[in-house]
Amino acid sequence: MTKELEKLSALYDGEINKGDFQENIARLNKDPQLKKTFNRYGLISDLVQRNAKKQESKVILLSNYFTRLHPMATNAITAAATVFITLIVLYQLDDDRFQVDADSSLQLSSAISSDQAKNQLLNADQNIVEHMIHIMQSNQSHNPQPLSKDWIPVGFSVNPSNPSQYSNGRNNLYFHVENKQLGLKKVKYFKANNNWIYLIPLEDGRLLTAYGDVPPTVANKMIQSINQRK
Amino acid sequence: MGLNSGDEMFVKEIKAGNAMAFEAMVLKYQPKLMSSLIGYTKSKDQAEELCQKTFIRVWQKIDSFRGDSALFTWIYRIGINLAKNDFSSSHNKKSKITESLDQAEYDVPQHLSPEAELIAEESEKKVMDFIHSLDGDTKSAFMLREIDGRSYEEIAVIANCPIGTVRSRIFRARQLILEFMNQENIIND
Repeated sequence: MTKELEKLSALYDGEINKGDFQENIARLNKDPQLKKTFNRYGLISDLVQRNAKKQESKVILLSNYFTRLHPMATNAITAAATVFITLIVLYQLDDDRFQVDADSSLQLSSAISSDQAKNQLLNADQNIVEHMIHIMQSNQSHNPQPLSKDWIPVGFSVNPSNPSQYSNGRNNLYFHVENKQLGLKKVKYFKANNNWIYLIPLEDGRLLTAYGDVPPTVANKMIQSINQRK
Repeated sequence: MGLNSGDEMFVKEIKAGNAMAFEAMVLKYQPKLMSSLIGYTKSKDQAEELCQKTFIRVWQKIDSFRGDSALFTWIYRIGINLAKNDFSSSHNKKSKITESLDQAEYDVPQHLSPEAELIAEESEKKVMDFIHSLDGDTKSAFMLREIDGRSYEEIAVIANCPIGTVRSRIFRARQLILEFMNQENIIND
């Protein structure tokens, strides 16, 4: 029976030879239970594809915020949302594995095919995507939380008109601290072209989100400082 | 995007007048069309009626489908056009029109559309969470098929495994999802 159902699944995908197609279509036509199963494969497809679209639209929204943030650096991202999706890569970092340099990061990005990257993104926790959108929306925070100076990378200083923004004159880094951790136990970061988002669960139960065109080689010092406090 | 390879055989058979192939195609795309039409009309009853009309129109017009777009895109366009006509007619006349579909002129298969089965919004997250909890190989094969529309051959290359393994993984994913939906009473046998 399992083999027969497997053929039904292949028929659904049109991945069946002509002989098997006719045989399975006839079998399907006679059996109400098979019809129900076949129809439910369609129900599953619809559900999965709709959810993927919802996630995609969130990513488009996210890329729009990146554009506002760094219009010159993100032209490639805005060229097409799909390009953005294929470029973004999700990493999960163990504390002891955070020694990532630009070269190995680049190699890693190249090694991951666009399909895998896309699936990783689609499989990412929806709450995290929503959190990032929320953070981007509140970019110009009216009530910035105090930041530990240990978190600020060397050479970066605060922008007097935006206490959440730090810059070294070339790169910008924005910080947000919120009283939630989204179930994160480890540092996660997302990359899209030259932009990065770091999600760092703090010891006290809050979540530090840092984002900007600051690569791990520079942000590494920030993470190390935070980890060393443990 | 052209005709999805998965639909080529369905289209060929339906064009040749194979009513069983047509019914299988209806079973396959009815949930997706219903979902689109409910989104458009905000009414399950109206969506069901339009869904039925759409598939009748598909059966009638299949010879005009050239494969320039994916089969579902073509079906969707017919459905939305019918919905627009329905809407403007009811808007103008303050009543719904009954469109003549000249059924007598065509040998339209009897069983066009099973009763639409819908998944409640609150159950959708449960199902998606379950899909995300599937083992990596199974989930990856299933997602590449469902979201990217990849052929089994392409998935086999990406996953570096035989096509038969891809076929088993996708089937396994579907079976596990259906079992989960049954257990959670999201669908009922």
